[in-house]
Amino acid sequence: MRSATLVLAAHSLRRTRPIVIGMALVLGGFQFLLTQVATFLLRSGGFSLMPSLIPDFLRQMAGPSMLTFMSFTGVVAFGYFHPIVIASHLGLAIAIATEPAAEIETRFADLTLARPMVRHQVITRTIVVLVVAEAVLLLTMMTATWTGLACCTPADAPRPELATIRSLAIMLGTVTLCWGGLALAAASAVRRRATASGTAAVAALATYLLDYLGRIWDPARRLSTLSPFHYFEPSSLVSGAPLNVRDVAVLLGIGLAGVIASYAIFSRRDM
Amino acid sequence: MSGPAIRLEHLGKRYGRLTALKDVSLDVLEGEVFGFLGLNGAGKTTTIRILLDLVRPTSGRASIFGADCQTRGPEVRAQLGYLPGEPGFYGDMTGEATLDLLGRLAHTRVDPASRARLLDRLEFAASDLRRPMREYSTGMKRKLGIVQALQSDPPLLVLDEPTEGLDPLMQDAFYELVAASRQRGRTVFMSSHVLPEVERVCDRIGLLRGGELVLLSPVHEVRSLAGRRVRVSFAEDVTPPASWPDGCDLVQTTPRVWELRVHGALGPVVSLLATRPIADLDVQMPHLEEVLKKYYSDSERVALQTNAPAS
Repeated sequence: MRSATLVLAAHSLRRTRPIVIGMALVLGGFQFLLTQVATFLLRSGGFSLMPSLIPDFLRQMAGPSMLTFMSFTGVVAFGYFHPIVIASHLGLAIAIATEPAAEIETRFADLTLARPMVRHQVITRTIVVLVVAEAVLLLTMMTATWTGLACCTPADAPRPELATIRSLAIMLGTVTLCWGGLALAAASAVRRRATASGTAAVAALATYLLDYLGRIWDPARRLSTLSPFHYFEPSSLVSGAPLNVRDVAVLLGIGLAGVIASYAIFSRRDM
Repeated sequence: MSGPAIRLEHLGKRYGRLTALKDVSLDVLEGEVFGFLGLNGAGKTTTIRILLDLVRPTSGRASIFGADCQTRGPEVRAQLGYLPGEPGFYGDMTGEATLDLLGRLAHTRVDPASRARLLDRLEFAASDLRRPMREYSTGMKRKLGIVQALQSDPPLLVLDEPTEGLDPLMQDAFYELVAASRQRGRTVFMSSHVLPEVERVCDRIGLLRGGELVLLSPVHEVRSLAGRRVRVSFAEDVTPPASWPDGCDLVQTTPRVWELRVHGALGPVVSLLATRPIADLDVQMPHLEEVLKKYYSDSERVALQTNAPAS
């Protein structure tokens, strides 16, 4: 007999396959498009004009990092921290992570948990699906970026290094898994998917805004360290800094705490 | 005699201030068909969910084939097939995919021929199995639920309201499946509202009211509690006797018709009637319903409790 975890994971992956493939194609297409936008701006001399188009107050508010983004590498990398891209990743992660609550709500869990399996296998299944889906998205995005750079950009274009793209993907992946873990904790405690996903989505939006506030308003800087997005620093990667292992560890640590909480809650609760 | 297939010992469950189950103790022996009765909210489904470890008891203990349902859950569930009261199937999955998935999660391999026979007996067409379940009627979902519970032929079947939504022909088919399971030595624990169904298929019953077990008895003994209804018509006017034999209650009399309720042997009543001009005599066996309706409403706890299965 195959492990119940694998059976359930295969079942969930089959069910999420259309949306994962669809999102991978859209996000991959977006990355490819950004390489072509960067190429166009390079050929048309747009990068030298862009700083003068930005109002002074906006440049001061955003800080020197804004200039980093007005470069070939900055435009190519933008797809790894664009708010809509982040929202897409988090949306999918929350949808996958709240599957235990959905199964309790629809009573499908009554049928599966009535089989000879232990409850933590449901949580492990969800983690497997979450990691696989996120890996598919990130690999597709990286492949699209690299394809765009390899096939359709001038040879003398200042292409970002593969390590930079990889680090950006890892950063995006860790913040996604962090919220996946938190959503999983919420999903293991409630009976309705909407409650779990709503809670996770509102918390993500609130902490995203808190982090943004901390970046532009000094008094909020300290408070913003409570936001997981505080440890999501793509701008430093774009400007050539190496991946900050501490940030990755903090994000994975928060996600792991969510996972541990979900194992504990799910194994004790009434279904 | 073999040990209990199911043992509940002082089982209790509270949801905050609400007491769903209170000190429920009973044994269900291997090979018997046990009917678990009660009105809505009596605690039947809570008990079943404790057996499956979907719900944790507040007090007491539940075990199946000697293994604790909470501490040895997977071992316990490897030996049972479960039909929930409201099976939660995914509408976009086909019936076949659902059965395959649940079969793969079972402890024992599902025999395709055995599953095909079950589907055939419940008149489930192969073409229906390939349709998404959102297109299924309530009855079809119930039939698929029965198949998923029985397909691995487990030693114990736990069925929550199994015939809800089935048409009369399918109900008969289900009763035959239960009878066949019993012949193979399987134990069946089923909750039901349908008293004629319980009367037809169950050896023993347990009745819950407000979370308490108020009746536990073989079906034939419960029936005997009600007594037989005897209706006597006379050819001419007769006068009722001054005294009646023991166990005989007068329900209604007219000069030419007596209606009696007789508990125990009919002999003394027949002797009494022998000297009178009888035109017609009708003896009706009591129905379970007549007795149980009383227990649904009565507040006193019933002393009649036995663990012996009906022969």
